[in-house]
Amino acid sequence: MKSVSHRKDLLSFDNMTREEALAILDTAKPFKDLFTRSVKKVPTLRGKTVLNLFYEPSTRTRTSFEIAAKRLSADVTNFAVSTSSVVKGESILDTIDTLQAMQVDYMIVRHGVSGVPEYIARHTKASVINAGDGHHAHPTQALLDAFTFREIYPDLQGKRIVVAGDILHSRVARSVFQLMHLLGVEVGTFGPATLIPPTIPDYVNVFTRFEEVLEFDPHVLYLLRLQLERQTANFFPSMREYHRVYGVTDERFRQIRERGMHIMHPGPVNRGVELVDDVMTYERTLINTQVENGIATRMAVLYHLTPEVKSRSHDTEETA
Amino acid sequence: MQENPVLNPEAVTEAVKRLANEIHAAHGDAPIAFVGIHTRGVILADRLVAELRTRRGNIEQGTLDISLYRDDLDNLAALPSIEGSDIPFEVEGATILLCDDVLYTGRTIRAAMNVLLDYGRPKCIQLAVLADRGHRELPIAATWTGIHIPTRRDDYLRVHFKETDGVDDVIHYSRDPA
Amino acid sequence: MSARLFQNAHIVVPGQSDPQALDLRVVDGVIQAVAPGIAPEPGDERIDCRGGILLPALCDAHVHIREPGQEDAETIESGTEAAAAGGFSRILAMPNTDPPIDTGGMVGFIQSMADRRARIPVSVAGCLTKGREGAKLAEIADMAEQGAVMVTDCNHALQDAYVLRRALEYTRHFDMVVGVYPDTPALSKGGVMHEGAESFRLGLPGIPAMAEEIGIERDLRVAAAVGGRIHIQNVSTAEGVDSIRRWKARGVQVTAETTPHHLLLNHTQLGNYNTHFKMMPPLRTEADQQALLEGLLDGTLDMIATGHAPHTDFAKNLDFNHAPFGIIGLETALPALHTHLIQTGKLTWAQLCRLFSDAPRRLLNLAPIALEPGQPFEAALFDPAAENTITRAALKSRSFNTPWLNRTLHGRVTALYLPRDQ
Repeated sequence: MKSVSHRKDLLSFDNMTREEALAILDTAKPFKDLFTRSVKKVPTLRGKTVLNLFYEPSTRTRTSFEIAAKRLSADVTNFAVSTSSVVKGESILDTIDTLQAMQVDYMIVRHGVSGVPEYIARHTKASVINAGDGHHAHPTQALLDAFTFREIYPDLQGKRIVVAGDILHSRVARSVFQLMHLLGVEVGTFGPATLIPPTIPDYVNVFTRFEEVLEFDPHVLYLLRLQLERQTANFFPSMREYHRVYGVTDERFRQIRERGMHIMHPGPVNRGVELVDDVMTYERTLINTQVENGIATRMAVLYHLTPEVKSRSHDTEETA
Repeated sequence: MQENPVLNPEAVTEAVKRLANEIHAAHGDAPIAFVGIHTRGVILADRLVAELRTRRGNIEQGTLDISLYRDDLDNLAALPSIEGSDIPFEVEGATILLCDDVLYTGRTIRAAMNVLLDYGRPKCIQLAVLADRGHRELPIAATWTGIHIPTRRDDYLRVHFKETDGVDDVIHYSRDPA
Repeated sequence: MSARLFQNAHIVVPGQSDPQALDLRVVDGVIQAVAPGIAPEPGDERIDCRGGILLPALCDAHVHIREPGQEDAETIESGTEAAAAGGFSRILAMPNTDPPIDTGGMVGFIQSMADRRARIPVSVAGCLTKGREGAKLAEIADMAEQGAVMVTDCNHALQDAYVLRRALEYTRHFDMVVGVYPDTPALSKGGVMHEGAESFRLGLPGIPAMAEEIGIERDLRVAAAVGGRIHIQNVSTAEGVDSIRRWKARGVQVTAETTPHHLLLNHTQLGNYNTHFKMMPPLRTEADQQALLEGLLDGTLDMIATGHAPHTDFAKNLDFNHAPFGIIGLETALPALHTHLIQTGKLTWAQLCRLFSDAPRRLLNLAPIALEPGQPFEAALFDPAAENTITRAALKSRSFNTPWLNRTLHGRVTALYLPRDQ
């Protein structure tokens, strides 16, 4: 039987091979097929506990993980963490010790500070899934994006993607760069020079004008959400100018349609900033597909990880 | 490890033909759906369907991946890759003939029935296996069996098919001299 | 009379870059003879150094003692015990305590507390501005009278060049050093590590090298105009070293320090968000490490200082953004420098003693130590062959926030000799 080796945590793609990434993506497909059955649930994680540990509010991502875990028959608990707990003198480690005592098998962690999921993973036997940390990584987002990309182009080798917007502050951009590169996709980026630091990885092609993006002719144009507060920190002068120079304007949308490019966005969208409203109804805009694929991809990730809680014996292959 | 051939290629063909005859005798021309369990159950289903297609119509066919329903995921050295199930017919009210190569503890069949029941409520589920090696851990029995082979618990019984292994045979591996 | 004879020692003596196989005899705390094979006299206490290195005791011009205010991180006792264990006979205590040391009364209080409870002599620095707020000068003459030898606001870099100008002018009458932490807060604000490919990869806010470079350039330009003694703390960048080199050549009276960790570590080493690698200024690049070493060797940088900054486990167990800056260094400095610079031939023992004993002592208005006849005996004995694993149990400091925790270094200080103990 074909199989993949055990991994405890998914924190970033730093230690992932192309084979492993493909194994997760391949697994997501049968999970997506389950959604057409009358019973959408499978008993794979029956008796296991999945904990959503979100230090930053995110209804979308949390709900996606919750549905994924429930479709695998796990018990799901949402642990609301007060952001003031640090002020009250409770460190993350204190919280983890408490949760460890509750025999949790999987922890889904979202935190505003880079490195916190890694820190938690070092201190717990539970499998930790990074659901977004600071500006560092958001691996399940990148996986669902790659899954969505592969539904259209089954072989990603040599395909092209351009990630546009605020790279500097984006964990999504970092993870998408890393995973796409791992999968053999050519990666480009486009956005204000203040938000694309010179320290980005060498394999990323940096474009300064939209015409260069068109010349690169990406299969997917991936628009990042622009945090509106960046304007006040002088990263760019105004939303109006950002949209005109770096957004998908009406004219650019026409060129995108002509070329049949697909559009992705991790959501939620700022209409009139990253893109004009019409993009949302364009048949090659994959934003809703990304959300749908998020569940199957996260099921695949949960299936793929193995908590340290129980040790595994060697060979019980013959269960027939 | 002792290696004892139980069925040679001709005997495998013969056993499949006999299973097909028995199934045909029991079901006549009534609608029937063959569902093979990954990996070699799928091949057994293919062979049975090929035999029966010459004699009758009204046959549906599907495949089952029971990985997500296994009760021993915690104890595996490596995670099984998921092939996915393909059930292209309405399970509700169907007569389903589950096919697998070897019947042993019965746990795979238990998992397979759970998967099927999550698709709907079949009229009935029957089971055809090429070889039954005993040592059941659940109250499960095959409706049709190609061959019964007495084994010890720590023996291995391997069914090989041309499609997956390059040859049709059944081999019994046992630790003590036979 | 008490006499002690040190035998089988390798002694760092003036004029020799490498330790010499010599004996040394001390009578009543004063060196009486340094020579090969000194014959023991009746009544001599004989000390077999087993080939260890006898060097002038070290001096650390940058130590955060934490008392008063954060005694759970360090106290005068624990901090000076750690210093003694590291081979230091003198430290300069920084004024960023709680409350800060910003009046003559506070300086006197700390000095008297240290005189009673410290394991080794302690010099005290006062704040440059009241409450380290960067606005109004603290009472510098009062603090000088109570024995303060430096005024500094520590890591609260002066935003206002006007305040720096007045401080450099005012201190000239009191032979007081103005210590500055070179930074441009508008550029470093929010940063937690060196800005570069690593900070991008880890998704952590960066502190660009130019924040330090511009700070040094501005501070030295002011010093060039108005005079005074200025001391640059914690230099970490190649451009910063260059800037100091240029201004020194133009006659500015400046001294500067760097730390063992900025010499020996760089930003690629905090890959797993280990807060024991979080300090201010941050660990920089390999090229910066090289430039700092060159700066020390050519005299641009005058001294090494540890910047010993204890923090509790609780504080360092916070996430990387919220954990405080700083690491302890008193007990690891000499073993780490020995392992990575002396054993690799990049630094001699004589250079190390110039940088880590002579220069900081001069900064604190103390005479350098010379291990020669007629001089007070103030020395550390170092066993270069000892395997020294830095464990919690072994550390004398109350805090354990060191990047060398659970790592093994070569060499260990086995004894410290102070004149007052003899």
